[in-house]
Amino acid sequence: MLELKHDLRLAKTRDEKARMNFVSGLRAHVLNDMASGMRSVYDADVEPQFRREHKRAPKDGPEVHKAIKANDYFKFYSTLRVTAQDMVWQSVIPPLERNRPELKQKAAKLSGQAQGNGKGKGEARGTLRLQPNFEVPRYVSAIDVHLMAGNYDGEYEKDDLAAGSLYDNGLAVFSFGLMGQNLDDIGQSIAGFIRLKYPNLKPKKILDLGCTIGHNTGSWKDHFPEAEVHGIDVAAPCLRYAHARAQAQDREVHFQQMNAEKLDFPDASFDVVFSSMFLHEVPKKSIAKIMDEAYRVLKPGGLMLHMELPPNSQLSAYDAFYLDWDSAYNNEPFYKPFRDLRPEELCKKAGFDPKKYVQFVIPSVGWYGEKVWREAATRPPEVDSDKTGRLTDGILWYCFGAWK
Amino acid sequence: MSRQPMRRTIRGGRPYFFDDPAIDKVLNMVVVLASEVWTLRERLMAMEAIQVTRGGLKAGEIDRFEFKPEDEANLSAQRKEYIDSLFRVLAEQVDEARRSKPAPSAAPVKTKKKATRKKK
Repeated sequence: MLELKHDLRLAKTRDEKARMNFVSGLRAHVLNDMASGMRSVYDADVEPQFRREHKRAPKDGPEVHKAIKANDYFKFYSTLRVTAQDMVWQSVIPPLERNRPELKQKAAKLSGQAQGNGKGKGEARGTLRLQPNFEVPRYVSAIDVHLMAGNYDGEYEKDDLAAGSLYDNGLAVFSFGLMGQNLDDIGQSIAGFIRLKYPNLKPKKILDLGCTIGHNTGSWKDHFPEAEVHGIDVAAPCLRYAHARAQAQDREVHFQQMNAEKLDFPDASFDVVFSSMFLHEVPKKSIAKIMDEAYRVLKPGGLMLHMELPPNSQLSAYDAFYLDWDSAYNNEPFYKPFRDLRPEELCKKAGFDPKKYVQFVIPSVGWYGEKVWREAATRPPEVDSDKTGRLTDGILWYCFGAWK
Repeated sequence: MSRQPMRRTIRGGRPYFFDDPAIDKVLNMVVVLASEVWTLRERLMAMEAIQVTRGGLKAGEIDRFEFKPEDEANLSAQRKEYIDSLFRVLAEQVDEARRSKPAPSAAPVKTKKKATRKKK
């Protein structure tokens, strides 16, 4: 299990650490060993059976899903994956529950520092702005996404930030090291890649949509220290936590409670509008509004970039099925509908010139190391790989977007 | 808002994969149990390592050991917590059943219900 490096990490007993270690190990087993086992079972039994019946191979993800559903290996893989997913959060809640008062104090202290002028040494920077009567959209408030009890926005006391801590500590267990030592591999890999690939891009303002605890927002500040970096989200507990977490990591980021469908920023005010693992959490109607808003707040010449799961149109039938699993069984109702969309169409509809569409598959800097990652910035993009978007050994991050 | 304990059950139920969902539930218990077995092993290894460093443990000492009454009470409370955790998967059904009138925020969205309630 990955140990968080910042001051908001939870104090855990030996047994709690051992439980987390077990869940991390279980997830690695299911997502590496059993996932590859399931592929073998598919190739050996399920696919040939389908061919005998239909005189052709399955044409898409849903056909593979239908064919594999009755197979025992699929059942064990799936039920163990659900169990492991559930255990991720359950391994965090007991130590979190015990640490809540102390966590709140620590965070208040860190955030209190941030309210200073930001000039003195040891005085943290950045801002936090919450809206007292903010309406959390139903697609967040009504669901425990990826089986996380309480979801991002659940609050259990005044000025609560437990949900942020649950997500941060849960991700540390969930990722079994594949999301970086600070859970920022996506941010580090992508922000750094953009800096290498576009040396002339000198953003003054950067916006991260649906930033949750800001774990990938801060990377933009690391790679573009001159820029003013903003993160927005609908979930107050995550934003409170994000702000304190950024202070603990000595990063200047501005967090605001806002719905990405209706941004409270003027037209043409940002040079980069980014999101990671965000669009697949919202319904299609909202995605269109979010893309429109991204276009509106971007300056001409600015870059919109969304890190996401790869679209089904760019994957083999089996890989589409494999990623769609979450949509069917991991409380991710918008995951497949999003991946059924064509990213280039989304950009075009929002007003972006199709000639200015971009997409990348970026090697994880943590997994592949700096050399491979740097080389990728000079290569043409490739999407169709069974490593793309999967939390598995050799992970690659997919992103798409457009220049305005 | 006064301080409330964090919720531990998932809204909207969980997916089942075997013809009889009881199999999924039993498997969940087995895995939780496996996790606790592993936890014990880590703890024992830590304990042994400490004892080796200190040279404090004699052969057969653990077999002859009896807990003091206050330790016994503590152990009993921990055992209850352990058993609750082992059977937590069953608590979800009870939670669902007891939520006769779910608050709007607690009701699952329709699409999710359809996706997660499928049994086969």
